[in-house]
Amino acid sequence: MSVAKPLPHDAAHLHVTGAARYVDDIPTPAGTLHLAFGMSTAACGTLNNMDLDAVRAAPGVVAVLTAPDLPFDNDVSPSAHDEPLLATDAVHYVGQPVFLVIAETHLQARFAARLGKIDITETKPVFTIEDALAANARFEDGPRIYAQGDAASALDAAENTLSGSLDIGGQEHFYLEGQAALVQPGENGDMHVISSTQHPTEIQHKVAEAIGQPMHAVRVETRRMGGGFGGKESQGNALAVACAVAVRLTGQPCKMRYDRDDDMIITGKRHDFRIDYDIGFDEEGHITALDVRQYTRCGWALDLSLPVADRAMLHADNGYWLPNIRIESHRLRTNTQSATAFRGFGGPQGMLGMERIVDHVAAELGLDPLVVRQRNFYASSGQEIQTTPYGQPVEDFILDDLVAQLAKTSDYDARRAAVAEWNAANPVLKKGIALTPVKFGISFTLTHLNQAGALVHVYSDGSIHLNHGGTEMGQGLFQKIAQVAASRFGVALDAIKITATDTAKVPNTSATAASSGSDLNGMAVKAACDTLRDRMAEHLAQLHQCHPDAVVFAEGRVQAGEADYSFAEVAAMAHQARISLSATGFYKTPDIQWDRIKGHGRPFFYFAYGAAVTEVVVDTLTGENRILRADVLHDAGASLNPALDIGQVEGGYVQGAGWLTTEELVWDDAGRLRTHAPSTYKIPACGDRPDIFNVSLWDGENRADTIYKSKAVGEPPLMLGISALLALSDAVSACGPNYPDLHAPATAESVLASVHKAQDA
Amino acid sequence: MYNFDFEKPESVADAIAALQGEEAQALGGGQTLIPTLKQRLASPSTLVSLKGIAEMQGVCMGDDGSVCIGGATNHATVAAEAGAYPALADTAAHIGDPAVRNRGTIGGSLANNDPSACYPAAALGSGATIVTNARQIAADDYFQGMFTTALDEGEIITEVRFPVPEKANYQKFVQPASRFALVGVYVAKYADGVRVAITGASNDGVFRWAEAEAALSANFSASALDGLSLSGDDMISDLHGTGEYRAHLCAVMTKRAVAAA
Repeated sequence: MSVAKPLPHDAAHLHVTGAARYVDDIPTPAGTLHLAFGMSTAACGTLNNMDLDAVRAAPGVVAVLTAPDLPFDNDVSPSAHDEPLLATDAVHYVGQPVFLVIAETHLQARFAARLGKIDITETKPVFTIEDALAANARFEDGPRIYAQGDAASALDAAENTLSGSLDIGGQEHFYLEGQAALVQPGENGDMHVISSTQHPTEIQHKVAEAIGQPMHAVRVETRRMGGGFGGKESQGNALAVACAVAVRLTGQPCKMRYDRDDDMIITGKRHDFRIDYDIGFDEEGHITALDVRQYTRCGWALDLSLPVADRAMLHADNGYWLPNIRIESHRLRTNTQSATAFRGFGGPQGMLGMERIVDHVAAELGLDPLVVRQRNFYASSGQEIQTTPYGQPVEDFILDDLVAQLAKTSDYDARRAAVAEWNAANPVLKKGIALTPVKFGISFTLTHLNQAGALVHVYSDGSIHLNHGGTEMGQGLFQKIAQVAASRFGVALDAIKITATDTAKVPNTSATAASSGSDLNGMAVKAACDTLRDRMAEHLAQLHQCHPDAVVFAEGRVQAGEADYSFAEVAAMAHQARISLSATGFYKTPDIQWDRIKGHGRPFFYFAYGAAVTEVVVDTLTGENRILRADVLHDAGASLNPALDIGQVEGGYVQGAGWLTTEELVWDDAGRLRTHAPSTYKIPACGDRPDIFNVSLWDGENRADTIYKSKAVGEPPLMLGISALLALSDAVSACGPNYPDLHAPATAESVLASVHKAQDA
Repeated sequence: MYNFDFEKPESVADAIAALQGEEAQALGGGQTLIPTLKQRLASPSTLVSLKGIAEMQGVCMGDDGSVCIGGATNHATVAAEAGAYPALADTAAHIGDPAVRNRGTIGGSLANNDPSACYPAAALGSGATIVTNARQIAADDYFQGMFTTALDEGEIITEVRFPVPEKANYQKFVQPASRFALVGVYVAKYADGVRVAITGASNDGVFRWAEAEAALSANFSASALDGLSLSGDDMISDLHGTGEYRAHLCAVMTKRAVAAA
């Protein structure tokens, strides 16, 4: 069986040789036109008029469009229909598209776009959380509140109380391949869209609306993305829609890709947060009461902010039993890019808030934070079942065992002692160590999204064509799914052709998001394969007078009674016998239901777990810091492919640590994003990964009935990076008597400020 | 890019002649100028490359024992060949990235006088002499504020002469994304006193820290700097760091440079 094998990514050789095709690599037909947006220069105001004569006169320009030129719907929102492709009467952030240039080349379009003169009467913008609260600028009518027990009374009754506040920065996705789309005209108004998107169906839907056609007229294809990270769940809509509108106008193929600066200025990022908390706890560190307020800047449009903010609330407990908790969530409207999905989807922010809370309690009591963590863990599976703040029983809890194992393999206790010894001897360089756990809920919280489809053909030579609704963004989904198909048919992997995601093959798909790609599409493909296998088995059973269940598909052979065929022979026989060798498969996640207004139900099919230990060193005179070592133990269930899963875990840790350390988004007083290129925005590079980086997978299968008992692995490991921030905090705490109160991202300057806070008498 | 004329003279005299033209601009390694042109922040009609001028290439020793570097010498060459002044060679070895070091020139860097560049600190910290086609300019007179120098129109740096100190060291705190100096401190101890030059920090570009120089001239040790600090008020405050943070780093990096010298 090919599942569980550590096979390389199916396109690895294409990636490393440069032969893998991305949207911008596809040879385009002669006459293809190129698009660029003219952008708002003001963060907030009334759009009076635009003088675009110079744009129209610029070399190579074919047409320039503004909102009134759009033929049908002027909207690219994935949710509330509040995101015009081109601004109408108002602008809402610096970088908002206001006009569209169609030109003969990419550079001509970009240069021309700079020549527009846009007259805006500026009004007072809302930038900060404080601004937004003062102006009551928010989405939904008020804060959402989820609660369990009675936090207020429990706080009053608590032995000890503590309050604090944590700022958490946003994060640029920095996918290697920027946003891109290519649209080619078909006959009779049809469109063929090739898009770098995690959500082809959403692209199809928005394009169809924009060109006034039913969805059947629009076919969207995605072979692969050069990284998505959530940034291509909704942010690709604008490019595909712009291209489709331009194709409709000109009759020529149109392509649009954002230059990196434009990409960073236009598109949404991870939501930044401020989390305020009041904790009640006993002398042993048990958290008896917790009141948490989460404030997040959603940007100018709704996009996916409601489910993101919901997920932050749903991870405000992380792995801890909180009998009395109240979580209040404010979704604030600001004149900035519309914050969007980013790996973890709010979960990381909520979880970081809780890890900070536990860390603060431990510091107050002078206890090892790991001990306080363990004292507050949910009960293990098999013991009394405790519920999350949103009413879901935690039935599969393994963090106590997993953390104990990691503490042992990483030599946590001895290293913590060594760190203390080092810090006693070294006045300038201080070390820190932290072990943090991850419990991440798996399923879309919008329950109806938890479905997937697949289409599988077996050709008469025994080769297999595989298609499903998931998209490949480098994570290895296609390889995992191919392994599933190969295992179901008992054939070698090279019998399987993995094909581009295509709305004409599998319709009405969900985004490849919420870590659900393998879980949902793997099961759908399994269903399709099993349908075909059953048809073949029934035919052979009739021929050879045996039960269909006795027909065995293994190692490229098929045995039925005494007979033994190659898979190809069976395919040819089935074809001769007029048996359909094409089947669809469908899957919907069982056992989930959720009321997001009440904040009660079972939103998640299961939880994925993991933990990381990070050791850092801080230069207390400058705030500079390095990760010295990271040890990770992560739960991928019975892994479909341990090589790919370890890759996801390593990448997740590094991306999470980058979010919380060097990746700093800076807007100026006028609301302009100043960090819009790699020269100003620092993502971790290969050299920034820990020198010692031990990553292992937890040996245990998923208790839930998932594809081969595996677990989702896309988002959860990002939150392993939380240990890097708390290790920095631990190092700073060695500088003085006060709690370091370290905020994220922990840039050198921020760490130095924290050092001074720790030292101040 | 847009159209411009390109000239590559082989002598200083020819270069000066070529620079007499309207909107002619000297081109060193192009590590700043070419991106500037690409962004349309400058649009000279003629670029005059100085890289073909043999007499402006390479490192040699002057009669007075100074290390003399041709104005068109790239950083990698200085790193490899200025061994007689190890701190200078080491500074050159850590400028930018390999591409910058193999293209960028010392003359280009000093003529541009970027407030975050390394060479201005080395030149000012060493009390170097900037030799042009027309005259010799002391470093103290040469740097006149960020992106501003004593160079006249059409004047080019043909050579830079560095007196070799008894001890010297350059400490750079890099901005992690661009690897430019957030603060860089060059400390050099000469028989007649210590010089401390700081780049990256001030709104006025590279500057000498007089109090630190006085303290170190009396006692060349990091502890001599105890209690000395700079105000953040006139420091650069931007997305990479506040003025206060830069002022703090100036003191820390100066101590480190002294300790490492």
